[in-house]
Amino acid sequence: MELYELNLYMLTEGLKAKKFSASEIFESCKNRIDKCEDNIRALITRTDSTPQTSENPEGVLGGIPTILKDNLCTRGIRTTAASKILGDWKPPYDATAWKLLRESGAVLMGKANMDEFAMGNTCGNSAFGPTHNPNDISRVPGGSSGGSAAAVSAGYVPFSLGSDTGGSIRQPASFCGVYGLKPTYGMVSRYGLISYGSSLDQIGPFARTVRDLQLVMSVISGHDPMDSSSFRDKAHDFTHREDVSLKGKRVAVVKEFQGFGLDAPISEAMKRTLKVLEDEGAIITEVSLPVVSKYAVACYYALAMSEAHTNLERYDGVRLGYTVKDATGIKEMFERVRSYGFGAEVKARIIAGTCLTEPTRCEEYYVAATKVRTLIAQEFSRAFGETDYIIQPVTPSLPGKIGEADDDAMKGYETDLYTLPVNLAGLPGLSFFTGYAGNLPVGLQLIGRRWSDSELLDAGIILERHLGSPKIADGGQATARKKLYLEER
Amino acid sequence: MPELTFTPVIGIEIHIRLKSDSKLFCSCSTDTDAPANTNICPVCMGLPGTLPRLNHRVVEQGMLAGFALNCGIRPKSLFFRKSYFYPDLPKGHQVSQCDLPITTSGYIEVHDAEGKLKKIRVHHLHLEEDVGSLHHSASDGRLEGADTSYVDYNRSGTPLAEIVSEPDVSSSAEAVEYVMTLRRRVIYSGASEVELEKGMMRFDANVSMKCSDGRWGKKVEVKNMNSFKALERAIEYEIKRQKKIMLQGGEVKQETRHWNDAKGVTSASRTKEFYRKFIVEPDLPPLIISQEWIDRVAARMPEMPDVRANRYVNDWSIPREVADVLTDDRNLADYFEACVKAGANPVRAAHWVRTEVLRVLNENGQKISDFKMKPEVLAGLVAKVDDGKLSTTQGKEVFDYMCANGSGIDEAVKALGITEGGVAGNALADIVASVISANPDVLDEIKSGRDKKGKKLKFLQGLVMKETKGQAKPQEVAEAIAEAVK
Repeated sequence: MELYELNLYMLTEGLKAKKFSASEIFESCKNRIDKCEDNIRALITRTDSTPQTSENPEGVLGGIPTILKDNLCTRGIRTTAASKILGDWKPPYDATAWKLLRESGAVLMGKANMDEFAMGNTCGNSAFGPTHNPNDISRVPGGSSGGSAAAVSAGYVPFSLGSDTGGSIRQPASFCGVYGLKPTYGMVSRYGLISYGSSLDQIGPFARTVRDLQLVMSVISGHDPMDSSSFRDKAHDFTHREDVSLKGKRVAVVKEFQGFGLDAPISEAMKRTLKVLEDEGAIITEVSLPVVSKYAVACYYALAMSEAHTNLERYDGVRLGYTVKDATGIKEMFERVRSYGFGAEVKARIIAGTCLTEPTRCEEYYVAATKVRTLIAQEFSRAFGETDYIIQPVTPSLPGKIGEADDDAMKGYETDLYTLPVNLAGLPGLSFFTGYAGNLPVGLQLIGRRWSDSELLDAGIILERHLGSPKIADGGQATARKKLYLEER
Repeated sequence: MPELTFTPVIGIEIHIRLKSDSKLFCSCSTDTDAPANTNICPVCMGLPGTLPRLNHRVVEQGMLAGFALNCGIRPKSLFFRKSYFYPDLPKGHQVSQCDLPITTSGYIEVHDAEGKLKKIRVHHLHLEEDVGSLHHSASDGRLEGADTSYVDYNRSGTPLAEIVSEPDVSSSAEAVEYVMTLRRRVIYSGASEVELEKGMMRFDANVSMKCSDGRWGKKVEVKNMNSFKALERAIEYEIKRQKKIMLQGGEVKQETRHWNDAKGVTSASRTKEFYRKFIVEPDLPPLIISQEWIDRVAARMPEMPDVRANRYVNDWSIPREVADVLTDDRNLADYFEACVKAGANPVRAAHWVRTEVLRVLNENGQKISDFKMKPEVLAGLVAKVDDGKLSTTQGKEVFDYMCANGSGIDEAVKALGITEGGVAGNALADIVASVISANPDVLDEIKSGRDKKGKKLKFLQGLVMKETKGQAKPQEVAEAIAEAVK
């Protein structure tokens, strides 16, 4: 077995027992990246050309390689948000989440591809080209954190960070066959995360076991004075425990979602998972979320785009990133910088956001959406009086072919119905692996109450125990071999 | 046809820099005089990924300013994003409380044309961040036509209070009194130093005209006034301009106009105002202010200048005019009260501070905070003059000497060769005797009765006064000489 195949917990234990060294891990991961990256294209920037020294070799993540979504600021290392507009910008500061990882000893292998400014669910809206699903390189890895999910799936690193505004961690985790946690809003500091929809954005981890998610969360969660939306109250304990149980816990499906069509492997996975839960002593129940099912998609996009267009106002070519030197006057400068710098999807959302907050329509759209959001949060809060967890798909279908989903943008928006209500209500959501349909992984989603992230991961431990852990994806090796074979003939 | 009359309807928006060592949303220094772009950080530069965090000290400054305008404090207020593109605005939006501000309404009292007190209602005060400053290479210092422009972000994120009045102002005189009174009260509260020459107070005015024939002119927003004088002139210009249009039967256009201080005119602004509904700043939670917090800050509010002046008039019988001068500056009034507390007679002390202290400060271009003489020392000097130990003239000489040399009273008295309490009794008799013996011919003349008009007596008195260096009382000198020549 190669070191890159080991999960995070095994690596930390092995390092402690001196079975292998941090530099051996680094080399193994680097070789794996070298081998797969041409097929997968998960990374925008690689930082592994020279061995990275751990800042804290004795720390809980001492010497462990990791990868960050390229919307997390890294001091002195190019950060692009997959947009041309940021040019070769090197932030003068670290995102808090990265600072915490760094201080715990983690070393950076690279910055992962994503949909530009996290807008998209295929990882295809990137100025650096699409990332490929390591399980089947003709398919999308999901998005927007597609690069981070693909990197963990292909064994580049044992864990990575992404961000989730409407499903951007959970959906690619499901598509790539890894675990992904979208924590409760406020659980992880957003300082240094390039904003998309500030009231919805949340940083979270990808890993190949739930236990590894627990370990990462124990490092990155906590109050940060630099983020006014980060929690201040009690500390959250993500310590791994074996003696967890779901006995007597209520797990609900959403009544209104039952009529919706799902790909067969997904409904199959749902049946299997519900059986596992029942066998574990959980009570399967049903909750009703009428407002969520009717209005969540419209509400989400109204809010996300309204916030996004103001978050993206700062890209004007004055202080950083792409700029033009020969513009006549500031108006022309702004127009040329923004016209060239932003991709089509980002421009569409900026225009939509501008229209949604325009004075004659603001009450009808933006203000209305903020009110609907309150109703949605109340609806979830009522539902969580009747249940402890909600279980539902992450997406209605398995990953599509690259380029396929791009034709019908609205379809892309609607497939987010299962993920984005979680962001509207600030809830934690776990995307977990249930098995394979052919070579494609199938994931589902477990949602908990606000601040119940550690209980959610405890439930994930039990599910993983019964459903099994994902294996490292082939990373395009079979396809590459086939291609080579055909060429040789 | 009766002659048409016009009533100006004016609302005023004021931006004031709040006093704070650090910026509104980060911990950078607010020293805007530092070399360009030295007091900046990722937050006030609006770098991607940064988030604002509210400076609670500034919130308290805002509350103090609100109290000074008789405003209430809202238990819950919000921050919004006010969007527009400009190079000095790093985030492309200004974070401002424009839609749900920290204070409720208040008022400021001014005198109307008939001298009667009138309330100018304050709609609200809200907190917001300032923008950076631009430096253009163009010869006229403006953006248009400049080859190159430079941005200094030192000012970006420094805390401002915007104060919006109701359209209750009816003349440029009322406008000026409104902003002057408001400024004095805000300075008193400690919320701001409002140094006009440092651009810490900027004005916009909304001017429209109501005609006696029932016509209402459209509202014109006049921007870019940075002094009381500019505000006064801009309003007067705009009143005249709009009146002329309406007299000719024309319509005043609703627009934004720019005050050109050098030319003394307003001109239609070239930049179009793009009005947009503001979205809530999602990176800042609502600002919640508890009653306990309000009470704690309210306890820091000093007595306001008008109340203080009334107290001087009523309790200490200080003339109104003197009381107004003393209370114009909180530190000056504090100094005066410290003199009184140290035992000085209030009316005398008021007079000394009003005339002598202010004279010295003016001569040296100083502020009362620069004034070295302790109030207890001035009180001591005032008491000595009051008790007759020093004449008024001597008192002033001693005062000047102390100011110039930083000395105490005794040192000054000694250096000036003054005998406290003056020359009287035996000392005076001795001087008189020596003067008379030195002028026997004068004595003869008086004794012979030829000095009918008393000229020779006066002559002797003058000599004696000269010998006593003016420290004898004229009455006593006259009596002593009369005794000696008997």
